[in-house]
Amino acid sequence: METHHFHFKTRRHNYPQVVCANHRVTTSKSNVNPSVLRLHNYGNPTADLAKERAVSADETKRPSTGKFGRFGGKFVPETLISCLEQLEVVFHQVLQDPEFQEELSTALNDYVGRETPLYYAERLTAHYKAQNMGRGPDIYIKREDLAHCGAHKMNNALAQAMIAKRMGLTAVVAATGAGQHGVATASACAKLGLSCTIFMSAADMEKQPSNVDLMTLLGAKVEPVRPTAGSFKDATSDSIRDWTEKLGEVYYLAGTAVGPHPCPTMVREFQSVIGRETRRQAAEKWGGTPDAVVACVGSGSNALGIFHEFVRDPTVRLIGVEAAGFGLNTGKHAATLAAGEVGVYHGAMSYLLQDEEGQITCPHSVGVGMEYPGVAPELSFLKETGRMEFYSASDEEAVEAYRRVARLEGILPALEASHAFAYLEKLCPTMPDGAKIIISCSGRGEKDTETVFNYPIS
Amino acid sequence: MAIAAAAAATSPTTARTTATLSPPPPISSSSSYSSAQLNFGLPKSTARPRTTAGLSISCTMTRDAAAAVAVTEKDDSDPALWSRPDAFGRFGKFGGKYVPETLMYALTELESAFNSIRNDPDFQAELGGILKDYVGRETPLYFAERLTDHYRRPNGEGPHIYLKREDLNHTGAHKINNAIGQVLLAKRLGKKRIIAETGAGQHGVATATVCARFGLECIIYMGAQDMERQALNVFRMRLLGAEVRGVHSGTATLKDATSEAIRDWVTNVESTHYILGSVAGPHPYPMMVREFHKVIGEETRRQAMEKWGGKPDVLVACVGGGSNAMGLFEDFVKDKDVRLIGVEAAGFGLDSGKHAATLTKGEVGVLHGAMSYLLQDDDGQIIEPHSISAGLDYPGVGPEHSFLKDKGRAEYYCVTDEEALEAFKRVSRLEGIIPALETSHALAYLEKLCPTLPDGTKVVLNCSGRGDKDVQTAIKYLKL
Repeated sequence: METHHFHFKTRRHNYPQVVCANHRVTTSKSNVNPSVLRLHNYGNPTADLAKERAVSADETKRPSTGKFGRFGGKFVPETLISCLEQLEVVFHQVLQDPEFQEELSTALNDYVGRETPLYYAERLTAHYKAQNMGRGPDIYIKREDLAHCGAHKMNNALAQAMIAKRMGLTAVVAATGAGQHGVATASACAKLGLSCTIFMSAADMEKQPSNVDLMTLLGAKVEPVRPTAGSFKDATSDSIRDWTEKLGEVYYLAGTAVGPHPCPTMVREFQSVIGRETRRQAAEKWGGTPDAVVACVGSGSNALGIFHEFVRDPTVRLIGVEAAGFGLNTGKHAATLAAGEVGVYHGAMSYLLQDEEGQITCPHSVGVGMEYPGVAPELSFLKETGRMEFYSASDEEAVEAYRRVARLEGILPALEASHAFAYLEKLCPTMPDGAKIIISCSGRGEKDTETVFNYPIS
Repeated sequence: MAIAAAAAATSPTTARTTATLSPPPPISSSSSYSSAQLNFGLPKSTARPRTTAGLSISCTMTRDAAAAVAVTEKDDSDPALWSRPDAFGRFGKFGGKYVPETLMYALTELESAFNSIRNDPDFQAELGGILKDYVGRETPLYFAERLTDHYRRPNGEGPHIYLKREDLNHTGAHKINNAIGQVLLAKRLGKKRIIAETGAGQHGVATATVCARFGLECIIYMGAQDMERQALNVFRMRLLGAEVRGVHSGTATLKDATSEAIRDWVTNVESTHYILGSVAGPHPYPMMVREFHKVIGEETRRQAMEKWGGKPDVLVACVGGGSNAMGLFEDFVKDKDVRLIGVEAAGFGLDSGKHAATLTKGEVGVLHGAMSYLLQDDDGQIIEPHSISAGLDYPGVGPEHSFLKDKGRAEYYCVTDEEALEAFKRVSRLEGIIPALETSHALAYLEKLCPTLPDGTKVVLNCSGRGDKDVQTAIKYLKL
């Protein structure tokens, strides 16, 4: 067995450092050829879905590496490797199983409430046009806030819970930051009759107590992580550890497009329903594609969900907005793509926030769901190839955006999504008249009313 | 006359009127009525209205004399023949327009505006577009598999339970259907100012939401006590740009807020539209609110046909004021083979005196401008109702429900706080859907209903709202 030594920093985890077999480790930049958009598992988004999946299945007949350029991979203990491989096999099976797809489709329609509308935000559009002599872009909002449980998280949680059931597992474990993924997972498990344990950091539990209550009501067990400190990153580590201990009994339900392969691909795949609907709705509404798609980026699942469909449309700008917290220069933010470096974290190579000693920093944002020090490897890839633009918005700008959208449209966007809305302030003056902007409202903001209430007004 | 004097007494800016109201003795247009409500000072009468065949009522409520309309009892067991409502806004003897003179014109204007938009394709298209893209319609008809399994009897038989997912609407309840319709109507009437009353805040938030969407001035009246208990909802309404005015009179709760809102409307009737949140109040509100909600039942019919090629057998909905129930029932009232079941709040129990089971324990009277069943004591004073769910905590009920009950077309039952809480937890754990406490009353009734239903009966229950707002209450009482 060949052993590799890492040429880049790894994070210290509580589980033992192991040598990594079964994947190629890219150590030099010359392996990355940006001119070849060889994106793992990207088929032609507009082709027939089954055909697309058959194509990508062909691509991955050999045990796949889960790489997006140099990002991604499976940096995990040996014990998890076979588990991940099994998961990948099942994943590809369900993608091509018409019965599973029909059951999922019915559940997405009848249970989750899809398809979510693409809503023309008349007053928000007028607001920006008024600042620019009546000229400006037309703003459309993709209403993931209307999904069951109030966020896009449900799309993925439901599909993966169905996979768990199919694998014959009766227990599900997951980690949650703000709680949205926890609530969605608890919900899906209740619906499918699976037992559910959610790891949540004690600090996050204090910041979003209503979500903790929701999970408890739904029958899930909420495990606080490291009572004195910790956040989503620690919750993730704990749940992965729990999974390692209980392999074969428990299904680890990844909530976002991070983690070892196949988790990022699975989550992106299940979230990409957002982008597919959006393309169809845009065609219905104005007979074309959007000029720009804007989404907030915490770990990246909602962004990938809407971007994926448009990656191969060069005329569509993909704009991700991260959390600048108190400001990028304060060190109290969560802007991984803007201020991070490349490293391995939670099983994947990606950008991440670390200090000089290589310790993962504790990120900060008023939008709890944005507080992840890493980011989806696929987004790292889109950044490096220049396909995606990324910016950031501060806490203050996000809270202001929350208030603005409430007042103008009667919609309370989640504080996470508010970061995307905040970026409209800078984006709209630069867009030509009549340009079409689609902004992903990834969740509803009733859970954040108290935070906004208590937020000091400057 | 009594009404005019009372109206003048309560609203200083109202011009003195000389309207006459002369009901013939056997039928009084008021039975018992609380003067704490709207200060109409109608003569208190302990005699209940009796229906007599062949009697005509000459009831003048406008300046000009209206022609007498004969009230005759016909054989009207066929729902297709019922006037719901008739030209006076009555459903049988219920409903009507028991309001101060100054509001009569506004109500008439509202009614003609509503009738004109009913068949206006542009209005309907605009309304349809907003319901689709903003509110998120159509809402799914969801087969509740685990709930169905739960009620399956040992021999494998049992009804099939479907949930109409009004909880998935924007703002999380059915209320927005009506709020949107009324705000579009108000815009058409050229009104720039919207007022509403709210108890716990749900209707207030829905109203503030639509006013933000359409850029209208919004004033919400809320009892001072309620404002304290629901500080976050107050903040929400303010975030949405509404002004929330506290009402300190009376018990400083919903009924007082309603009176204040009506007083505002009387004063500012030309510029202001009053968004009533339920199928109660004076004509044309019960009819209008029902019409704006009837999309629920219309969608259900179509979805039922798609899913099992037939109609539902039983419709179940919770009843506070009655809007979500009327929304689901309306399209099926004429289908006699469809059972209509409304579930009210029995609070601490029907014998405790602390409940809101208007149709079970109430008597007929006039409240907030309409004749209907209501909860009153022997002196005709409105009893303060109680339910763990704020939305069912209303001492009256829509007049059309009173009518459907008397006709035997709909059945009404009730469920205690405790049963509702149990159902809240049950459905959360079986389906991963957290229902509003109001909706939980309907879900609780399934416990009694399902054992009586033959195998394969299709039950559609209106999941009228989501329960995020009730989580703290539930956790406290369920001791989770």
